[in-house]
Amino acid sequence: MSTPAQVWSYRNLIANLAQRDLKARYKRSLLGWLWSLLNPAANLGIYTLVFGVFLKGSAPGMGDGQHPEGIFALYLFCGLVVWNLFSGTINISISSFQSAGQLLTRTYFPPECPMVAGLANVVLQALIEAGILMFFMIIVTNVAWTAMLIIPILALLACFAFGLGLVLAVLNVRYRDVAYLMGILLQVWFYATPIVYALDPIEGPARRVIDANPMTSFVYAMRQVAYSLDTPTLTNWVVMVVTAAVSLVGGWIIFGRLAPRVIEEL
Amino acid sequence: MTDNAIVVEHVSKEFRLHKDRAHSLKELVTRRDRNSGADRFQALTDVSLEIPSGSMYALVGHNGSGKSTLLRCIASIYKPTSGSVRVDGRISTLLELGAGFHPDLTGRENIYMNATILGMGKKQIDRVYDEIVSFAGVEEFIDSPVKIYSSGMFVRLGFSVAVHVDPEILIIDEVIAVGDAEFQRKCFDHLYALRKKGVTIVLVTHGIGTVETMCDGAAWLDHGVLQMTGTGPEIATAYMDRVNAQERMQREEAEAAAALAAGVPVGATGSGGSAQIEDIRIDRVEFVDATGEASEFGVHQEPLTVRVHYDAIRPVPSPVFGIALFSSAHVHVTGTNTKIDGANLGTITGRGHVDFAIDSLPLTPGDYELTVAISDEYVQHNFDRRERAFHLAVRSGPRLAPEGLVDLRGRWSIGDDHPADAARKP
Repeated sequence: MSTPAQVWSYRNLIANLAQRDLKARYKRSLLGWLWSLLNPAANLGIYTLVFGVFLKGSAPGMGDGQHPEGIFALYLFCGLVVWNLFSGTINISISSFQSAGQLLTRTYFPPECPMVAGLANVVLQALIEAGILMFFMIIVTNVAWTAMLIIPILALLACFAFGLGLVLAVLNVRYRDVAYLMGILLQVWFYATPIVYALDPIEGPARRVIDANPMTSFVYAMRQVAYSLDTPTLTNWVVMVVTAAVSLVGGWIIFGRLAPRVIEEL
Repeated sequence: MTDNAIVVEHVSKEFRLHKDRAHSLKELVTRRDRNSGADRFQALTDVSLEIPSGSMYALVGHNGSGKSTLLRCIASIYKPTSGSVRVDGRISTLLELGAGFHPDLTGRENIYMNATILGMGKKQIDRVYDEIVSFAGVEEFIDSPVKIYSSGMFVRLGFSVAVHVDPEILIIDEVIAVGDAEFQRKCFDHLYALRKKGVTIVLVTHGIGTVETMCDGAAWLDHGVLQMTGTGPEIATAYMDRVNAQERMQREEAEAAAALAAGVPVGATGSGGSAQIEDIRIDRVEFVDATGEASEFGVHQEPLTVRVHYDAIRPVPSPVFGIALFSSAHVHVTGTNTKIDGANLGTITGRGHVDFAIDSLPLTPGDYELTVAISDEYVQHNFDRRERAFHLAVRSGPRLAPEGLVDLRGRWSIGDDHPADAARKP
């Protein structure tokens, strides 16, 4: 198992791997990395149209008090930023390990490196999305100091997702089903998280499932700080910190144990 | 400073074979009740060896003998199942063609990528970048994606990066063979220079000549078991002897089978009982001295004739007779054949002999071994080949012998380059 310090000593490599992925991804495309923004933009548009306009989804009033009827698109956007970071991390973790296989069987470096490089790219993407969210919030003048808390919330979320991603990446080498299964599971998880709908109207067993979902906490916290301009509750913080810590430490240990053996099978 | 750069102690490596392992969840569930005794493949068994610092060390063995697995264990890409590997120094590896090159990225981008993997910082790479490019000879294509590179360019660039990252230990799998002859020579020159600087070099090679002439030490693996370790020439000889013996055995088996199939009783053609259905074979070899008498030895600077007696059971059109000489230290001194020397023997049949007459034996006194072979006119098929099967002792003659193996018989003389300078001398 590689210690974080060992991985850190390979930071040049991590930076290079991350750059390589970015460069290779948008080689020979006209719009280049603009695509990385068009995709979430399209999602945002579709969800706003379907859930906001057709199904008349409503959002609570905004924190500044100037928009008591709420702006559904921005309410949705808060959740999407959180969700994209989560699902992006899981997907890239699985594919990073696969694509780094070539390198790992030919030279030695900690196998955590390509994973961290993949994470770095997704986090960068999330920061850009968060920046765009803030841009719109400023336009509608719905801003407060609480927006600063976006950073720690996204950091905790990245830890939570990365821990899961590490485990799924090694499992996927043995059982290719993992990647396909996650495709389905992420869709279910998406709708089990209050992103395209508000949490309040839901009751009964469905509510219990949604409450047990750690992603609910992250989405809730994000909306508190960016949309409602309030702080998350203490329980909210505790849930986020604990899930992030358990997932990251557990994932790191499992990955460290399994990765050397799995490399031989890449 | 005479430490070992690499110490391999009782290393075993076992792989689980892919076919026995569930690859999907369904298989995982359905095979639960079946055998849990997995199929395992023992790639290395209790291998121990020491590679001295600053030496060039070769791993030899046939395909699948565990050479590459051992290299990967040394490079800590694989973890040994048991045993330990101790490595003292910064390792650079070149294990496969264009290791870690991304096809869509340019040569330049890949150089930076690859050198970073091998542990270099950006500034260090900047310093050696031009050298890397010019050594690989890919200046024109450096800003094109490497997927358009030829396989030769690929391996040149890979090799170039691996040797320029200032390694203390360089691990190279059989990749140099992909380059053309000129590049191979350049590679070996460079490896030689690196070794002089004190870099430890471990390489897998099938080039026995390389092992013989360039390597300080070598290890021979067979089916994951260490057969022997020793100096380059020792291992080269032992390994070649085994390969030749196996080839002969296989040939004899094939011949026996063919003879049986053809209805010829085994051993019917006589000569030692083994099936002999090659058209022509070497009967015996003798040395003939200046007086025309058979001799047990040759004399330095005296005439000597190598006489190869053959026995052709069928007419053979234009066979090629060849001889090769090796020193007692297994250095390949020389070798030639009737084709190289432009002698066409025509169709031969029955018993007879072919003479190779040397006017003045240019070998210094010592012991030599002789390989004799008869092959078809295209030198594709060996009818018979006796690898280092004949012993030739060379004795001192009336003339003083020079050092080394070969007497070049050159003439020394003296002359002036600059008459003006000579005039100024006191």
